[in-house]
Amino acid sequence: MTMHVSFREHFFSFVKPIFSGLLVAFIVLSASCLPAAEQQPDQKQIHFFESRIRPLLIKHCYDCHGPDEQESDLRVDTFKGIVQGGKAGSLVVPGKPEQSLLITAVLYQTPDLQMPPDEKLSKQEIEDLTNWVKMGAPYPNADLSLLRAANQKGKIDLEKEREFWSFQPVKKPALPEVKQAEWVKNPIDQFILHKLEQTGLTPAKPADRRTLIRRTTFDLTGLPPTPQEIEDFLNDSTPQAFEKVVDRLLASPHYGEHWGRHWLDIARYADSNGLDENVAMGNAWKYRDYVVNAFNKDKPYDLFLKEQLAGDLLEPAKDVAERNERLIATGFLLLGPKVLAEVDKTKMEMDIIDEQINTIGISLMGLTLGCARCHDHKFDPISANDYYGIAGILKSTKIMESYKTVGRWHENSLATKEDLKVQAEWDQKIKVEEDKISALVKSENERLQKEGGAEFKLPAKPEPTYSKEAQAQLKTLREQVASLKKERPEVPAAMGATEREIIDVPIHIRGSHLTLGETVPRHVPVVLSQQPQEPFPKERSGRLKFAEWLGNPEHPLTSRVIANRVWRWHFGKGIVSTPDNFGKLGAKPTNQPLLDWMAASLMEQGWSLKKLHRTILLSNTWQMSSEWNEKAATVDPENRLMWRTDVRRLDAESIRDSILAVSDGLDTKLGGSLLTVNNREFVFNHESKDGVTYDFNRRSIYLPVIRNHLFGMFMLFDYADASVLNGDRASTTVAPQALFLLNSHLVEDASQRMAEAILNQTALTPEQKIEQLVLKTYGRSPSKMEINRSLQFLDEIERDLQNEEPDSVKRNHRAWQVFCQSVFASSEFIFLR
Amino acid sequence: MSILPQALFSRRDLLKKSAVGFGNLALLSMLNDETRAASAKDPLSPKEPHFEPRAKRVIFLFMKGGPSHMDTFDYKPQLQKYDGKPLPFDKPRVQFAPTGNLLKSPWKFKQYGESGIHVSELFPNVAECVDDLCIINSLYGTNAAHGGALLKLHTGSDAFVRPSLGSWVTYGLGTENQNLPGFITICPTLAHGGVKNWSSAFLPAPYQGTPLGNAAVAAENAQIEFIKNGFLSRGVQRKQIDFLNDLNRMHQQQTGPNQILEDRIGSFELAFRMQEEVPQIQDISGETEATRKMYGLDEAETADFGRQCLMARRFAERGVRFIQVSHSDQKVQWDQHSDLLAGHGKNAKEVDKPIAALLKDLKQRGLLKDTLVVWGGEFGRTPTAQGKNGRDHNPEGFTMWLAGGGVKGGIKYGATDEFGYYAAKDKMHIHDFHATLLHLLGMNHEKLTYRYAGRDFRLTDVAGHVAHGVLA
Repeated sequence: MTMHVSFREHFFSFVKPIFSGLLVAFIVLSASCLPAAEQQPDQKQIHFFESRIRPLLIKHCYDCHGPDEQESDLRVDTFKGIVQGGKAGSLVVPGKPEQSLLITAVLYQTPDLQMPPDEKLSKQEIEDLTNWVKMGAPYPNADLSLLRAANQKGKIDLEKEREFWSFQPVKKPALPEVKQAEWVKNPIDQFILHKLEQTGLTPAKPADRRTLIRRTTFDLTGLPPTPQEIEDFLNDSTPQAFEKVVDRLLASPHYGEHWGRHWLDIARYADSNGLDENVAMGNAWKYRDYVVNAFNKDKPYDLFLKEQLAGDLLEPAKDVAERNERLIATGFLLLGPKVLAEVDKTKMEMDIIDEQINTIGISLMGLTLGCARCHDHKFDPISANDYYGIAGILKSTKIMESYKTVGRWHENSLATKEDLKVQAEWDQKIKVEEDKISALVKSENERLQKEGGAEFKLPAKPEPTYSKEAQAQLKTLREQVASLKKERPEVPAAMGATEREIIDVPIHIRGSHLTLGETVPRHVPVVLSQQPQEPFPKERSGRLKFAEWLGNPEHPLTSRVIANRVWRWHFGKGIVSTPDNFGKLGAKPTNQPLLDWMAASLMEQGWSLKKLHRTILLSNTWQMSSEWNEKAATVDPENRLMWRTDVRRLDAESIRDSILAVSDGLDTKLGGSLLTVNNREFVFNHESKDGVTYDFNRRSIYLPVIRNHLFGMFMLFDYADASVLNGDRASTTVAPQALFLLNSHLVEDASQRMAEAILNQTALTPEQKIEQLVLKTYGRSPSKMEINRSLQFLDEIERDLQNEEPDSVKRNHRAWQVFCQSVFASSEFIFLR
Repeated sequence: MSILPQALFSRRDLLKKSAVGFGNLALLSMLNDETRAASAKDPLSPKEPHFEPRAKRVIFLFMKGGPSHMDTFDYKPQLQKYDGKPLPFDKPRVQFAPTGNLLKSPWKFKQYGESGIHVSELFPNVAECVDDLCIINSLYGTNAAHGGALLKLHTGSDAFVRPSLGSWVTYGLGTENQNLPGFITICPTLAHGGVKNWSSAFLPAPYQGTPLGNAAVAAENAQIEFIKNGFLSRGVQRKQIDFLNDLNRMHQQQTGPNQILEDRIGSFELAFRMQEEVPQIQDISGETEATRKMYGLDEAETADFGRQCLMARRFAERGVRFIQVSHSDQKVQWDQHSDLLAGHGKNAKEVDKPIAALLKDLKQRGLLKDTLVVWGGEFGRTPTAQGKNGRDHNPEGFTMWLAGGGVKGGIKYGATDEFGYYAAKDKMHIHDFHATLLHLLGMNHEKLTYRYAGRDFRLTDVAGHVAHGVLA
């Protein structure tokens, strides 16, 4: 712990004010001596300024930062200008040259800010400026109150900031009054209806059962309902019919595959590093499977977070399986893209920490904490001090084995006793063979020695003189050892975190590790902590404490952010339409009472996401149709108030999976890795040769996620970028998507398979075949018009193919294939109502 | 043939309403102006720049690996003189690899053109165009490794995932031919950032670069993914799309007015046209013998890169906004840590003639005046020797050049120190370079912003100065 004692006292005795980095520095200064800048400068100092500093500023700076021009809003020809600084912040911290922007700029310390730009000042000039700042930046007739004002400028008024809606504690709101009370099935409906009635709107009529089961099955599992499942639902006349569907789907392992994938979007999951050195993260899939299982098991969300941030610190695990699960969960901290060939090790380390802070902030709290790396957050009450408080937690956490180019991330051993036993037995086998070798060598040497007599000196390499037999035997034994070593069972490992030397981190001025300010004790953002904070433990990184703080029901963001995400993933848009940003620049909730009610219920129900799904899906809100309403569309064109269900496109994975599923080509096996590149090997080296294949019939979640080169079809259909986390995927409509549906082998093969299957049912008439295909793909019966148009189309195509395909059976087959392909490409197949 | 009431879905209506990825302006241009308004939502329709642009499109000739400036366009007589002597000032705090003493250039330099600028004998053909070149000798970056430097050059950031230059440009300006992507990258490398170098990151998907093959694919075989249908004739596919349109219209009737579903119908029409247009552009059989010869298509060394340059011209002619051509082989092409002589010799031979041809060709077609041609790599190389006869990465000072599109021709802008290690005069950071490029295209780099994760992002982050000295 390298914390300054007086600073520490100050920090924890002030509950109310929050300090910007500069202010902290200022106060620390005042604790030890009178602030230099608060004293009027003496004559000598003024003389120094007038003779050494002012001429220098005039010569080198005034052109761009003077009376005529103020580049970057900075002027240095007045005291006010110097104190207030420009876009990059205040120029000087009186008495602290190492923290003063002016000095770091003239020292050319960071590549991004070097002044004067054309040529570095002379050593003498730099020394003069440094001394001037050391003296407290004396300036003639300076208005010293400006200095205080500049420092106060960065000060955050915590009480005021905490009034912001998302920083307020979550309180379960009372249910609002509604007129059309018979429509209300559960509180969700009441909140929605209340808003609709306020605006004079009414909810759409309920969706028909076919639409509803299709919508819900895709929503929970990412797959279409089978004709049998639809049939069962249509025939179930009990009042619980839909409830049964929902419960069946929530219990399906495909639920975890689909909802786990949502989580992977905000965990920026990938199977390769991406960025500069694209090496395979060959064990990342274990984290992916952990997430799928966590969703399937309905792991309480607070525990889910705790495991991902600090699974290695939870204790004690009841068995190895649980221990491993927790170790794997911490992979969350490591999954980000890293500049592994960064030559500057310290920069690499701080960039990785920054990526972690950014991810934790956005995905778990909906806050862009990363913005505070270089300066206090411009919009949210997060100071650079807060940022480096979290940075300390992460710097005390080991996630890298080595920062030496190419950097290596850390992996935790997952060995079971059994694994270790197997390995030990194997090592024993090796030892037995090696012992045989030494015994043979020994006996041969002794034999030679004996035969040669006392005068004989054994040659340095005696083996060639061994008996032919012994030589052959040795060769066999050595080969055996080599192959045993090669096949030595590896102990399983997973990317994950562990503790390391506990350290507090200094503020990095302008985000640069070359310009360090005051050291900040590890802490959580002050605005989100109502009570004065207990210091973080000296012997622990504090990850567990941080995770517990996140999962505390008092935390205003955690429950709101996840409740909103769940809503977003069900409905395609959040109650807060910026699910990754709950800060000042994020959107305001369209229905905060509803969001707060869900957040509070989630916590009351032990953070069970499945219970939240159930509540949402059993509401009438979920079960509305997508019926058009001219009046409502005029009042609320974006359907923010939910007067109907939006028509929505399936996500990339669901499109692929359903094409495979309805053509009977989907392998529904769960879990495991399909990556064909070994752990830590390059997915492409300099050769641009792709070592990865996507040619599998498994569900999309299991396809390798290669950063810098995502599976083409995924990219086309707005898959998450995998480098930048994203809780709000886009849904674009671009021509290359059409090219994929028309021309890709994936769709060609599936339509081929589907045509073959339907044509094998020789007893069916063409009408019946069309009927079956439409049922399978759209989940409904075709209209008369559709059947006629389809038959006409099949005829046309067969006729057209006469020139190309003389064989009438094949011709017929191809026509059906083109028909099936058209269905896959059609809007109804990939859009939900 | 459709059995639906045509009045509801006339082709013209369809065109008016659709607003899809590759847009539809080429089609719309057949219609009257009012329809332009309808396509305002089209993310790729042409947009007004912030001010009068000097260039309308960009061709970026990217030399992967880091060509040496001291051996090409940054003549350093002092380096010749002090060959073998130690560098008389400090090397950077962070270096990629240790280097030794100064190493002179193995190539001779000659003065060319009216400007009399020195160019090394590595580029005899490009040298002939020197009066059109604005050679920037004072670039500097921040990253000494390929991956970071490529990302810095292409996206402005070496540590975070940010939209690429080409994406920003198409985001800012849209594109002129709506049957083609606005940003095409020919045979790009998949290493060292790969897709990130042409990705739109958080900008909407239509702004991402469309790759034509990659560095492992010969230019001749480079294709846009899924552009070819190998199993249906065009006639059959036309009927299929008509059928599909009917299915989609029937579906749409159930949902009420829906822009996306309308867009979708348009997107199939456009895909169908693209399938026709892109191969036509790539088909260079119609080019004259003289042109083929000029680009070096008849010589083994230059055929591949020559074809890339020729395709770039063809895409430029047809209104693609940003075209990148990569000189990147299966290794790190210009990365001569050793044997500079052989490596740079071979590389320059492959690109010199095609690049000169591109410049001349653009000029004679009147395209050079509003096409900005950019040449350069991710960094330069050290004036000091690595091993016996190689040079290490050097982001501290290096050279790129611009041509056409409103830049001053026949000048050298900025300078490195007397040996070429550090940018020294009129230094131009990558951010400044980007700011200048955007300026030439009529955009203020401080105003070209996109809001993401709670803040307005720029290509130039919070930095960047336009180098007015390069403007014509």
